[in-house]
Amino acid sequence: MRPLTTLLGSCSRAGQTRLQSSTRRTKKALKLPPHPAVPSVYHTPFKFLPPSDPRRQAQLSSLLRNSTGLRSTAAASSTTGSTTTPEIPALDGKHQVPEPKFNVTREQVAEMRALRAADPMKWSVVRLAEKFECSKLFVMICCKASAEHQAKERERKEAIKARWGPIRSQAREDRKKRRTLLLRSEI
Amino acid sequence: MKRLRLDRLAGQLLAAPISPAARLSRPSRISRSIPQTCRHASLYNTQPCQRRHQSTTASQAPEEAPLESPLEEEFLVQDHEDGEPTLDTLRNGPLPSPHPSRAASSAKLAALHARLSLSSKIPVETLARALVDPSADAHPKYNNANLAYVGSTVLHYHTSETLITRYPRLPMGILFTAMKGYAGNAALHQVARAWGVESAAAPGEEVDPGLLQYDPMKPTVVMNKWGYVRAETIESQKFKSGKGLSGRVMYSSNPFGESSAAKALPNFEVDDGRNSKSMLLQSAPANAHANFVRAVIGAVHMHCGRDAVKNFIKSHFLSRTLDLSNLFEFDLPTRELARLCAREDFEKPIARLESETGRLSRTPVFVVGIYSGRDKLGEAAGPDLDSARVAAAINALKAWYLYSPGQVSVPSDTFAEDAAPWKPAYVDIGEIIS
Repeated sequence: MRPLTTLLGSCSRAGQTRLQSSTRRTKKALKLPPHPAVPSVYHTPFKFLPPSDPRRQAQLSSLLRNSTGLRSTAAASSTTGSTTTPEIPALDGKHQVPEPKFNVTREQVAEMRALRAADPMKWSVVRLAEKFECSKLFVMICCKASAEHQAKERERKEAIKARWGPIRSQAREDRKKRRTLLLRSEI
Repeated sequence: MKRLRLDRLAGQLLAAPISPAARLSRPSRISRSIPQTCRHASLYNTQPCQRRHQSTTASQAPEEAPLESPLEEEFLVQDHEDGEPTLDTLRNGPLPSPHPSRAASSAKLAALHARLSLSSKIPVETLARALVDPSADAHPKYNNANLAYVGSTVLHYHTSETLITRYPRLPMGILFTAMKGYAGNAALHQVARAWGVESAAAPGEEVDPGLLQYDPMKPTVVMNKWGYVRAETIESQKFKSGKGLSGRVMYSSNPFGESSAAKALPNFEVDDGRNSKSMLLQSAPANAHANFVRAVIGAVHMHCGRDAVKNFIKSHFLSRTLDLSNLFEFDLPTRELARLCAREDFEKPIARLESETGRLSRTPVFVVGIYSGRDKLGEAAGPDLDSARVAAAINALKAWYLYSPGQVSVPSDTFAEDAAPWKPAYVDIGEIIS
């Protein structure tokens, strides 16, 4: 009496094997708890401690001891590495935000506004920023495009969005949802 | 022909949730439209003027009704001295809630009293009264409205002083939400459920006094008072202003930053369709359970004093776990962090890539730290560089907001006889971006 095996045998055909992976299993496998090494937000960094906090004094003395100890022992025993403070990762030049230069004068701002009002297509924000050697944000603070130019730009963007298929639209929607989840610290 | 039940009709007088504060200060406020002869009595069916209209045949019968027990006689005489319901008026129909004399014989009440480890100074009759919601018995001497008002003020005071001294940098919105999480209706409902309080199917004289009695279809009392409410609150509500956070701080009439002052007005327009939505009680069971819990706090305060109620609140409410870090939702975290560093004279925050793996794979991981000078403010991992940076900024901001000086003394500690002089607590100067 083996009804189950016969039933299974009749159902299984060549080439239809059950794999370990499925949507549900993959999702479940990707659902990982936060890594234990993630620092807790309840641990206040040294810089955020108010002057009245006793932890500040305690950490300050230990930090001073470490930094003086570092100087004296760094030359002697560079192999131990236990006393060294963690290195700050270097910045690559590409992604560095330049310091504000404050180089644009009042007359130049008036000129910038005149150019933008005269021909907003030619004098775009990017070109104005290049011409006056300032940031795009500063150009946008100074100038405001005319209503018809704004409407034209909006129409252009709408036309681009109308060309998107369902996959790209869905991807954009998902990106927005992920952003809200990120701002709520839910992913 | 059915007799007109005037006492039922009078229910419209309580249609607007009336603040118990008004009731405490001016007992005649709710019965303003009732003639002067019976202005001290409320909807309890004991009003002489009502009885006269209500009954044409048996108006003399209640006066001849014999007393059932000496205890009841004592209870009634006491009432008579207060100028409240008299002997002849009490026997007019069934009572809306069980008689206080039955409290001593209720096993449920004794069990609840023992379960909460209440002091023997608190009589079971008070506990029985704490279980009667104003929707079950509208008489202010037999329901828990007054006790609940006392309890709510004590609870809100201890919750807010604990939150502010323990987390002195919480933004106002989070502080309001945390207050709600510790002392809101939903939290107190859960506490009441954990205490093992069951509710009666319907309120009445015959139910066990150990059951919570409320009627979801009748008007009740909502605890929405919070100290001083500005006079212009009503105006600001009319013109829909004061909805921002600073407006909520100024005009909110309850501890959770919600402006519900209009609900407390006795002459609130009930018929107006525009206002009817705000008149509805969100959840009658939660409100009744929460009012019971507040009434127990009020009873502990009245019978056992300040220190006992502080311990009671600490052990039953403030010991509950509320993860404050989950309450935050940021709008522009990187900008907020930059503003914070500018405000506090720290160096500009800079995001640096700590480590990365699988940049060209399907699931890369980037670990980004945010540094101000040589100090790291926050760190987070993310699937792309920008989300990792945003998450790190959020972590840094949370680390700022959730700073806690640890176990510090609260202002109410100085109430004790041999207390040390008060040392000012550290409290942050205010919002970074508002």
